[in-house]
Amino acid sequence: MSASHFVRERLVCNSSWKAAGLLVPGLLICGIASAATPQPRRQEQHFKVQTHPVVTLHNPNGTITVKAWTKAEVMVISNRASDDVEVDAEQMGNRVDVSTHATSDNVAPEDMRADYQINVPEDAELQIHNDSGEVNVANVLGDMNVETVAAAVDLEDSAGYVTIKTVGGSFQCTRCAGKLEVSSISGNLRLTDIHSYHVHAQTSTGNILFSGEFLPNGLYRLKNYSGVIEVRFSPADSFDLSATSLKGKVINEATLTPKAHQQHFYNRFGNSLIGTFNAGRAKVELTSFDGTINILKRD
Amino acid sequence: MAPMTCKNFLNGLPLRTEGTSSRDAEAHIRNCPSCRNITEDLNAIHSAARSWGGEELEPPAHLWTSLRSQLEREGLIRDERDPQLEPSNSGWFGRWFAGLPRPALAGGYLVLLIAVAFGFSRPVNRQVNEARWLEGTQVSTSPLSAQLTAEQDSFASFNNSNPVVTASLNKNLAIVDNYIALCEKSVQEEPQNEVARDYLYEAYQQKADLLAQMTERGENNR
Repeated sequence: MSASHFVRERLVCNSSWKAAGLLVPGLLICGIASAATPQPRRQEQHFKVQTHPVVTLHNPNGTITVKAWTKAEVMVISNRASDDVEVDAEQMGNRVDVSTHATSDNVAPEDMRADYQINVPEDAELQIHNDSGEVNVANVLGDMNVETVAAAVDLEDSAGYVTIKTVGGSFQCTRCAGKLEVSSISGNLRLTDIHSYHVHAQTSTGNILFSGEFLPNGLYRLKNYSGVIEVRFSPADSFDLSATSLKGKVINEATLTPKAHQQHFYNRFGNSLIGTFNAGRAKVELTSFDGTINILKRD
Repeated sequence: MAPMTCKNFLNGLPLRTEGTSSRDAEAHIRNCPSCRNITEDLNAIHSAARSWGGEELEPPAHLWTSLRSQLEREGLIRDERDPQLEPSNSGWFGRWFAGLPRPALAGGYLVLLIAVAFGFSRPVNRQVNEARWLEGTQVSTSPLSAQLTAEQDSFASFNNSNPVVTASLNKNLAIVDNYIALCEKSVQEEPQNEVARDYLYEAYQQKADLLAQMTERGENNR
């Protein structure tokens, strides 16, 4: 039952109360209607928080959207798929814990779902577990940890220490800074406009795209088993490159200066490319088992 | 009598490899891990070389010809082919051999011996090393593999309430199993390939993580 429907019912009750002849039956009807009305499936809750609050969310299935705002409070809007699930949101000091759980033992898979829209201060720390569906986070600058099985994760404008772990879900990160560690088994990883000093992205059968700045003293380690690893660099970038594909190809558009001490080990097994681009300030390590590695110029 | 030193032991090592060993040398290797390791390495190389023993090493014919012409050019031997000056019962090799000055003969023999030893030692060492790498990898992965297989068998029909999650976990478990099989094949083919071994270990790690997730979700589902 929607909220507007609920309000209409209340108005109907009020008008019947004014009709004196129908007072008793009206009250009875109202009482029965109120008792039978379930909790609305949409809930909105607000929690006042201090700086650097922590928000945790455990959800089996659904779309989670988290956005930063300027208020010193956390707003949680949840929408349950059925009455067989309920949403708990509670505050413990500067931490807000949100979770979805079943109210009975026999819930249909499609009913075991809740969607969330959460607004947090931009310095909030997030811990999100969502098995399937999707997770979207924008403008949150605190640390975050997201774990999913099949849910895709989409991140925009982050700046903290971000760790993402999926089984089959894809990951997309746009304009992310800070420290980024991503792992997946079959998810594709797409990192664009990155301004991070530490990127560690690993997937087994997925593709990896990295397009961003290689910051001085930054470490960029991309690894997969199969699939394509693609790195796009600009002429102003400066990095030391090590690219190895044991069974696949390494395609390179960067003009590299060979290193004084070549690591001949990598040449012995597989296709390997080691060298320095400009002053070699960042360190870039690309490894694949039988995938292709592309090192291409950025447009 | 003073116990044998490492230096003395190593000086006597050639005799030992020929099968002659003193009581002092035996006592020394019992107490000296360093010399014991050297001895064990040599024994391993010796055994591996024996296993190759079916192929008798025969220097190619042109080696003799080029060696002979080199020695002639340097004036160390003469071409004595006048049959009147030679005993009638010796062939060209006997005549050539008789004409060789003894130091040249010894030097040539030494060069040949070193070349043969060098040529043999590389593949033998490689074979021994590869066997060791493979054994090391198997020792570290076999218990893990057995444990993971047992765990996997314990919930053969994993079924989460969410069919999307069930499908994803089962699909990715199959991916990781395939990944492990391919890495194992690669390690078998190139046991010294560190990258292949790393991939194999990582694949096992992924499988362990995945099984832990399946166990957790299976239990939550009960």
